[in-house]
Amino acid sequence: MFQKLMRVLGREQRSKNVAKSRLQLILVQDRIGVDDEIMRKIQLELTELLGKYFELEADSVEMDLQREEESMALVANIPVIGLKSRQALQV
Amino acid sequence: MGRVIVVTSGKGGVGKSTTTANLGTALALLGKQVAVVDADVGLRNLDIIMGLESRVVYTSMDVIEGTCDLEKALVKDRRVETLRLLAASQKNNKNDIQPEQMKKICRELQQTYDYVLIDSPAGIEQGFQNAAVGAQEALIVTTPEVAAVRDADRIIGLLQSMGITDMHLLINRLSARMVKAGDMMGQQDVIDILSINLLGVVPEDQEIVVSTNRGMPLTHDRGSGAGEAFKRIARRLEGHDVPIPEFRADNWFSSFFGKMFKWG
Repeated sequence: MFQKLMRVLGREQRSKNVAKSRLQLILVQDRIGVDDEIMRKIQLELTELLGKYFELEADSVEMDLQREEESMALVANIPVIGLKSRQALQV
Repeated sequence: MGRVIVVTSGKGGVGKSTTTANLGTALALLGKQVAVVDADVGLRNLDIIMGLESRVVYTSMDVIEGTCDLEKALVKDRRVETLRLLAASQKNNKNDIQPEQMKKICRELQQTYDYVLIDSPAGIEQGFQNAAVGAQEALIVTTPEVAAVRDADRIIGLLQSMGITDMHLLINRLSARMVKAGDMMGQQDVIDILSINLLGVVPEDQEIVVSTNRGMPLTHDRGSGAGEAFKRIARRLEGHDVPIPEFRADNWFSSFFGKMFKWG
């Protein structure tokens, strides 16, 4: 009922536009053929690599392939707690 | 040489068989020699949609096994002189037929018929591959819904990798009312996403259910939204420049008034 009201007031985005955006995102990934296994491997290695330099929140790395205008980007969100100590970095 | 067109979608239930039956009938009513082939081995339904279920004696399996020749297996449609159906076996499954065998049947049919429409099963496995292997063109059927469009995109990719580049899009079950309200993707939205040539749009039409109940494709009738759409699509396939109409209201309205005027 409330959703219908919001729709009427034009605040909630038309569902067909939501559908279109979701599809465009999904199809980018489908078309490249990057499957879940590859994404998992990348995520694992990325986390390992960054873990050498940063204290990371375990299991909180998020990755996604997104469409940006004409091209595509791999977007990762990596919550970071802090830099590792100088000793650990061996810089 | 006739045109071999595979009617496919990826997603099940979007209207491949209905499209094959109605489009095949519409083309035949234009005077073309048309053979419709049910490639859904094990789950055949083109025969029942066309109302020819009691006339099937031999199937494509019989032709492949050499039990009868192709001509004998083709079912004549008493209502339309130039239309034939090659039914699928109900007791075999899709792995019982090899791609080369389907290709051979298509080649043979192409010699005699102007149009060979292959009704593909849903999915991307052997059944779909058998349906597509003999075709030079593809008619991709989709509805304006996320799952159907996603599957259509995948199918387009697979067809391209099989060497089929001549693709046509048919958007089925479009509800003008819902598109207007922003509750359904419209034809431009779907084209933006799939980027292949749009052959036509078929509106949502409850008369389709009635037509399959009776085994009488809608293109035999006059005044139904879907039936008229298939007729326009047939003419477009033939190369005529028929514009896609702007669907204003959902079909109960036009079919109600259409029926009133038919009586008068």
